[in-house]
Amino acid sequence: MISVTGLHKHYGENHLFKGLGLEVKRGEVVVLIGPSGSGKSTLLRCITALESFQGGKVIVDGIEVHPENEKKDRDYAENIRRVRLKVGMVFQQFNLFPHMTVLENIIEAPSKVLGLKKEDLKAQAKSLLKRINLENKTMSYPAELSGGEQQRVAIIRALAMKPEAMLFDEPTSSLDPEMVGEVLSVITGLVNDGMTSVIATHEMGFAREVADRIVVFDKGEIIEEGAPDDIFLRPRLQRTRAFLSRVNG
Amino acid sequence: MSLLVQLALMLCMAAPALPESGPIEKIKARGHLLWGSDAEGGAPYVFPDPKDPSRLIGFEVDLAEAIARELGVTARQSQNAWDSLIPALERGDFDMVINGIEITPQRQEKALFSLPYYIYSEQLVVRKDNKDINSIEDLRGKKVGTLSGTVAQEILTKKEGIDIRIYPGQVQPYEDLAIGRIDAVLLDLAIAAYYGETNPKVKYTGQPVGEGHYGIAVRKEDKDLKEAIDKVIARLSSTGELRKIYEKWDLWDNNQERLAEKVKAAEGYVGIDESKKAPLYTFLPLLAKGAGITILISSVSMLFAIILGLVLTIARLYGTALLSRLATAYIEIYRGTPLLIQLYILYYGLPNIGISLSPIIAAFLGLGMNYAAYEAELYRAGICAVPKGQMEAALSLGMSKALAVRRIILPQALRIALPGVTNDFIALFKDSSLVSIIAMVELTKTYSILAASTLRFFEFGLVVALLYLLMSYPLSLLARRLEKRLKGERK
Repeated sequence: MISVTGLHKHYGENHLFKGLGLEVKRGEVVVLIGPSGSGKSTLLRCITALESFQGGKVIVDGIEVHPENEKKDRDYAENIRRVRLKVGMVFQQFNLFPHMTVLENIIEAPSKVLGLKKEDLKAQAKSLLKRINLENKTMSYPAELSGGEQQRVAIIRALAMKPEAMLFDEPTSSLDPEMVGEVLSVITGLVNDGMTSVIATHEMGFAREVADRIVVFDKGEIIEEGAPDDIFLRPRLQRTRAFLSRVNG
Repeated sequence: MSLLVQLALMLCMAAPALPESGPIEKIKARGHLLWGSDAEGGAPYVFPDPKDPSRLIGFEVDLAEAIARELGVTARQSQNAWDSLIPALERGDFDMVINGIEITPQRQEKALFSLPYYIYSEQLVVRKDNKDINSIEDLRGKKVGTLSGTVAQEILTKKEGIDIRIYPGQVQPYEDLAIGRIDAVLLDLAIAAYYGETNPKVKYTGQPVGEGHYGIAVRKEDKDLKEAIDKVIARLSSTGELRKIYEKWDLWDNNQERLAEKVKAAEGYVGIDESKKAPLYTFLPLLAKGAGITILISSVSMLFAIILGLVLTIARLYGTALLSRLATAYIEIYRGTPLLIQLYILYYGLPNIGISLSPIIAAFLGLGMNYAAYEAELYRAGICAVPKGQMEAALSLGMSKALAVRRIILPQALRIALPGVTNDFIALFKDSSLVSIIAMVELTKTYSILAASTLRFFEFGLVVALLYLLMSYPLSLLARRLEKRLKGERK
């Protein structure tokens, strides 16, 4: 479903990815862990082309995105848009549109981009909101919601585009501790329904619970990957052990 | 010791009782006679010498020097806007005013006038090819240019149905006449002789009308000075020196010959009867019309500025490299040059290359194009203040960049820019007074015309200031309410 091969990413002088690769199968749940700045978020942003890259390629459901295509090639813009329609993205900072109500946030893209009927979208959005117990916030503005509520709406907003995969970029890192649970339970529900997901997170318990596979990042490299129990109970590398002992306090 | 006694005596005695304190003595002690005039008024009165622009020349300069010479001092000109020469005289900025000041009853209430030194009349000038205007009576429905606060303007105002265009200087009306913006110009013969007759595209029509006298104005209490000036004028007239001055400036005519007799038994003003003691409310329709034009100009210009500003911002931030650079250049040029110059170029400059805009269109364009540069910068600041995540969220939902800008970025940016935009609208309200230089009579111009012709600067000033406040305050209230409502959304 998602295939990243030979990815090179420069930030000015800093060469972050030196030929990174990652495969995600349809229906698979991959959790990315590792210290801050190790490249988890950057990889997710490269997949949806929010971040440009200088080498390698990203293939999403057969749509290829190359860095060479960036200039002159007319297909580039079209390809990244098609990729973005295939994968939904949830941000650390929620990024709800502050000038729109919860309902408007959810139906804006499907109605303007996919051209779907507003009436159908509204009914759909309301039933989705009901599932996460936010049906009474339909007409609220984002500023009137708690962080946890905002992030749950952001997830619904991404789902309203009917993506085939979801990317979660540290979805609970900006939340107060008491709100982490409500967001993670929504994601867990989604994953259990079979949504292909790539999740960058610092929540190790959650990672172990939902992941089919854990991928450990350090300094722009994937240093170790495997089943959750293998990574958490029998890490092969000293670097992985050091990271895990730090996050577990 | 005796010096101290003298000083004490001087202090004890009432100062006005001393003969030394009269205006003439003051001038003599100072060594020069200060006379007020407006060099912007131009030839042949007082204007910069084309050969040496730092020097002023003109028949009134010669006259002032002759008077100063007779008083045994030198003459020194003091520059002041023509409209407010009399108030400046009252304030004590100079000793006298010589600047084509027509002797009228309302001016005589404010100042003391010498014997007349020149008989003026108003000459109608039209384009060479014009056949249907032969006198003032033919002006109904025509556009007629004149200067603010002049007797010519009063004559025109008295006639029904004339579309009067008020100009700030005497060159522009003839230029506009030549290129067809207006149908006729009515101004003092002396002006017509200098600016009209020399223009090959225009001609005199009909006989001069509205004869009257120019006099030298002094402060009401300076009776000694007036008498001294009267004596000097009488002497200059009888010795033929006055005639020499007028011949030098090509102003000598039959009228001036008659002046010699009039000087002997001057009756003062013989021109137009006028009563400008009318109560304030009689001027309200005029002021309301001026306010209406101010509102019209400000609103249309602002709308234009808002739209053009948006186009500029989008070109600058999201356009191709060339478009972006052009938009940036536009903004820098329009912000970096005075609005007044932009208006002059737009209205008086463009006809040189064959583009002639009507005053109202020039006003809309001039103000709108200038303010667009400021609006563009406000929007840009607003767009930059929208968090980066907003664009990323929109893009990752599959929106195109254009759609994201239109639906997500701009609505937020405009909310951020709103207080600045309102502020600019209020500023534009007041800047709209600048368009009076392109012959638009809006509220400020209405004020300066009324105040100049009635000399009621104070009360009209208060009324006009109040009118501006009445127009801009509701705008502030509206903006405050809007901002409050929008704040509710984001908290």
